[in-house]
Amino acid sequence: MDPEEQDLVSRDEAPILETMRSIYSAVPMHHLGAIHGKIAGAMIVANAIVDSLPLIHGPVGCAFQRKLNPFTLSSTFYDSPCTNLNNVDVVYGAEEKLGKAIVEAYERYSPRLIIVITTCTTDLIGDDINAVVQKAKEKVGCGVIYSTGDFVGKSRPVGIQDSLYALADQMICREDVDRNEGSVNLINSPTQRNALKCREMASLLLQMGIKINKICFDQTTTRDMMDLAAADLNITGYRMSWAELMKKKMNVEYCKITGWDRYNKKKDPEMISPYGIAGSCRVLEEIARIMGREGEADSVIKKNRAAAESRLETLSRELKGVRVAVPVGFSLNLLKDIGVDVAALIYRTQTLTHGVTDRAIQEIERANLKLAEIYGFHPQLLVNPTPEEELETFRNRQIDLVMAPAKIAHFYNKEGIRTVDVNDFSQTKLNVGFLPSIDLCIVFREAMGRVRVRSPLLDLMEFDSGINNLSPHWARVALSFHHLRSRKFKQGSYYHFQGLAGVALNEHNI
Amino acid sequence: MSIIYDPLHDCKMVGALRAMHGISDCMVIIHGRNGCHCGALLLQTLGSEQNSVRVLTSGLKASDEVYSGEERLASAIRLADQTFRPKAVSVLNCSAPVIMGEDVEGLEMLLEGEIGAELIAMDVGGPEGPAWLGYEEALSRLVPRMQASEDEPRQGINLLGFKADDFCSRSDLSEMRRMLQDQNLSVNSILCGSSYEEMQRAPQAELNVLLGGDGLECAKAMQEEFGTPYISVPYPYGLKKSIKFIELIAGALEKEVDSQVLVREKERIKRTVENAHMFIQGIYSTPVAVVGESGRAFDLAEFLSDELGMDVKLLAISSCNFATQEKINTVDPHYQTLMIEPDRWEMNQALKAARVSLIFGSTFEKRIASKLQASLVRVSYPVLDHISLSGLPFAGFSGIAPICESIINSILNRNKEEVSA
Repeated sequence: MDPEEQDLVSRDEAPILETMRSIYSAVPMHHLGAIHGKIAGAMIVANAIVDSLPLIHGPVGCAFQRKLNPFTLSSTFYDSPCTNLNNVDVVYGAEEKLGKAIVEAYERYSPRLIIVITTCTTDLIGDDINAVVQKAKEKVGCGVIYSTGDFVGKSRPVGIQDSLYALADQMICREDVDRNEGSVNLINSPTQRNALKCREMASLLLQMGIKINKICFDQTTTRDMMDLAAADLNITGYRMSWAELMKKKMNVEYCKITGWDRYNKKKDPEMISPYGIAGSCRVLEEIARIMGREGEADSVIKKNRAAAESRLETLSRELKGVRVAVPVGFSLNLLKDIGVDVAALIYRTQTLTHGVTDRAIQEIERANLKLAEIYGFHPQLLVNPTPEEELETFRNRQIDLVMAPAKIAHFYNKEGIRTVDVNDFSQTKLNVGFLPSIDLCIVFREAMGRVRVRSPLLDLMEFDSGINNLSPHWARVALSFHHLRSRKFKQGSYYHFQGLAGVALNEHNI
Repeated sequence: MSIIYDPLHDCKMVGALRAMHGISDCMVIIHGRNGCHCGALLLQTLGSEQNSVRVLTSGLKASDEVYSGEERLASAIRLADQTFRPKAVSVLNCSAPVIMGEDVEGLEMLLEGEIGAELIAMDVGGPEGPAWLGYEEALSRLVPRMQASEDEPRQGINLLGFKADDFCSRSDLSEMRRMLQDQNLSVNSILCGSSYEEMQRAPQAELNVLLGGDGLECAKAMQEEFGTPYISVPYPYGLKKSIKFIELIAGALEKEVDSQVLVREKERIKRTVENAHMFIQGIYSTPVAVVGESGRAFDLAEFLSDELGMDVKLLAISSCNFATQEKINTVDPHYQTLMIEPDRWEMNQALKAARVSLIFGSTFEKRIASKLQASLVRVSYPVLDHISLSGLPFAGFSGIAPICESIINSILNRNKEEVSA
C-alpha cells in the first residue's frame, strides 16, 4: 500500500532544488525586513494548483513585481496577466474590463480555474468583484473565484489563507458530492509542495484501513481540489480557515496536527509536538478515533513503532552523549528519540512579540523546560543571549553540536563547534510518522562526521552583534522595518533578534 | 486589442526607485502596502549590491487607508533620517495613498528644517504609468536640487540614463569612464550613480550625455535651467558603438578623438577574436532574440547582428523611452520583427515561431528559454538569478570579450542529451 504507487505523491526531488531554495535563505524576508503582501500569497495558491491561472485585477506593477515569489525566491511566477488598470479605470471603475479579461484569460490560457486577485487599487475603487465573477462564469468553461484578502481576518499568511478560503467557499463546498466514505485528505502547505513527507503518514493510515482521498499540494489540479469535499476528514499541518469552513458547510471533519489547543487543556507538555515517536503515536491514535478505527490502529502503531525503535537503537548508538544546543521551537521528542543530550536551550522571544502575548511567551518557556525535565534533559536556558553569552555557555556546557541554519553556521564553526542545519529536514521530512526520527538521526550522524570548517570567508565581513545573520546595515534596515510595523516593538528587546541558533521563520510561526 | 496584459515592465514606482536608489546616500521610503515594499526591496536585493540596499517602508496599513497614513509616513521619514543619516530621503507614494490623496508634498514642507536629509517626494501610483516614465520623472525631480556654481569652470560630462541595478552596470560604468579618460574626457556626475552631492554638482558639466536616450526630460530641464546642452549616444555594445560613443561625445565637446587609442583598442579586440575565432565563426547566422529596455536593446541587437553576424529574428522592447519612436523609424533595422512592450504571452508565441537558439533577456525569460531549449544570456533588467562580481563589463571595448564568452559558453556548456530533437 505505497501512496506513491497509488499516484498520491510524486517522486523525490533532485538535491539541487533544495540548494536552489537555500541559496536565498539569508535574504531577510518573512517579517524580518519585509512582508510579502496578500497578492504573493494568492499567487502561491494559484501556482500550487497546476491548471489554474492567476488574474491580477490591478495595474502592471502588481503583475510584474509579483513574478517574484517571496516565499520561495527560486520559483518565479511566470504567468501573471493583469487587467492593466490606468487612471481612467480608477475614476470610472474597471468592472467591465475585469469581465472581459476573465473571458480573454480563459480563451488564451485554457485554465481549469481562474483566480481573480484584487489589489489595493481595486479594493479602494470598490469594484463589485463578486458580481463580475458571477456574470463572467457563465461565459467561460472553467471555474472562476476571487480573493480580496478580506475573507479570513488575520489568519496568516493572509493571501494563502484567503485564496484557499475563497476556493472552498466559492467552489469546493457544494451539494452534489459523491462521498469517499472512510477517507481523509492530507493537506500540506502550498508553499512547500512536497507531499513526499506525507508518504509514511499516508501509508500508516492505509494500514489502519483509512483511505487517502487526496494529498495536497503536489501536482494538485483543480479537480483534486474539488474532490477534497468527498473525504470525511481534513488533516492539516496548521490552522486553515478554509478547512474550518468545510467542516461548517460540508461536515468534513477537521484535524490540525500542530497548535497549542491540546496542551492548553491539561497543560501537558507532551501534547505540544505531533512529531517524533511519542507525538506521532498520539496524533495517529487521535485520527483513528475520529475515523472509528481505534482497533486497527493499535496494532499498526505498535508494529511500526517497534520497527522504528529497533532501527534507532542501532543508528543512534554513536550519538549517545553528544551534547547539543537547540532553539526553543524544535521538537524535543525527536531529540529524545535519537538519544542526544540537550544541554542548552536558546529561546528567542523577539519575533514572537509580534503575534503572541507575553503570557504565551512565558508559557512556551515553562512547557519546554517541563518537557525537557520529563525527557531527562537538564539544559541551561538562554533567553535572548548575546553572542558572547551564548559562546561562553556552549564552552562551559561542552556543546558538541549546535542546531543552526547555514546562514549563521560560520559563527560557531570558527569557534570549533560543529553545526547542523535542519531546515531541509523540516521542509522535506518532518511530519507525523516514525521515519523522521530515523532521518534526523542520520542527519545528526552526518553532521558529527563532517570535516570541520576552519576559516570561513564569511568571517572576513562584519555582522551585526545583535542580529548575527545580518550585516550592520541590514540589521538597521530590519530594525527600522519592525519599528515602523509593530506597535509592540521595543528597541531594547530587539537585541539578537533572529540571531544565533534562531528558529527559521516560516508560515507556521509568524 | 486585448484587455489582459502580462507585462514585461514594471510600474512608475519601480522606475522612480531605480533612479533614486542609484543615488548612493539616498534612502527610499515606499509609502504603500506591504507588497509594494516587498517587491521593491527584493528587486534591489537580488539585482544590485547586497550590502547597499536602502529601501524602507512607511508601514502603511489597511486602517490608514481610512484614517490617512501621513502621520505614519512622517515617522518613517524621521526614522530614516535618524537611523541612516542619508543625504536624501525619497518618498515614493504608491497606488493606495495616491488614490487616498495623501499630501506628501505638504509633508515635505512640514518636515523641512526638521530633518537633516533633503526630502524628495513623488506620486508613483501604479495606474499612473509605466516604469520608464517614473524613471524620467524622478530624474527631472532632481533638477531643482542641483546647484550651479558660477565661480567654477564647467568641465566634463554627465552621464544620464545610468541604472545601477542593471546587470554589470557598475562594470559598464567603469569601462565607459576608462574609455573617456583615454580620450582626456572626464565624467562630472552620473545620473543616477553618484552621491547626492555629486548629483548636485551636475550643472558644472559641459555636456549631458544620454545613454540610449534615457533621461531626456531631465536633460531638457537642465538645458532650460542651466543651459547645459545634451546629446544622445548609443549604449556602447561592441566595437562600432563604442567608437561612436566616443566620437559623439568628443564631437559635441569639439575635441579631437585620439585615433591612436582606438587603434590600440581595435588591436586588443582583434586578439580576442583570434583567440576564439573558430567559435565566433561558429555562431555566425545563429537565430537569436533580444528582449530588453529601449535604452540598451536596440544597440545590443545591432552589435549582435552587425558585428557578430547573428540573425536577430525578434527584438522585443520591454520598456520604452522618449527615443524609442525614433529608433523604430530606422530605415535599415538590425532585426526581423520588432515588438514594443508586448504582452508576455504574445511575445512567447513570437519567440516560439522565430525558432531561436539564443535569447538575450532577463530572468523572466528563463522559462520560455527552457521551453524552447534555447540558451539564455542574461543582460536585460531585471537579472535576479545571475550575479556579476568579477568587474567585467558587457559594454565598451572591454565588454566585447565577456559578452562573447557569455554567448559562446551558453552554447558550449549545454548537455546535448537534455536538449531533445
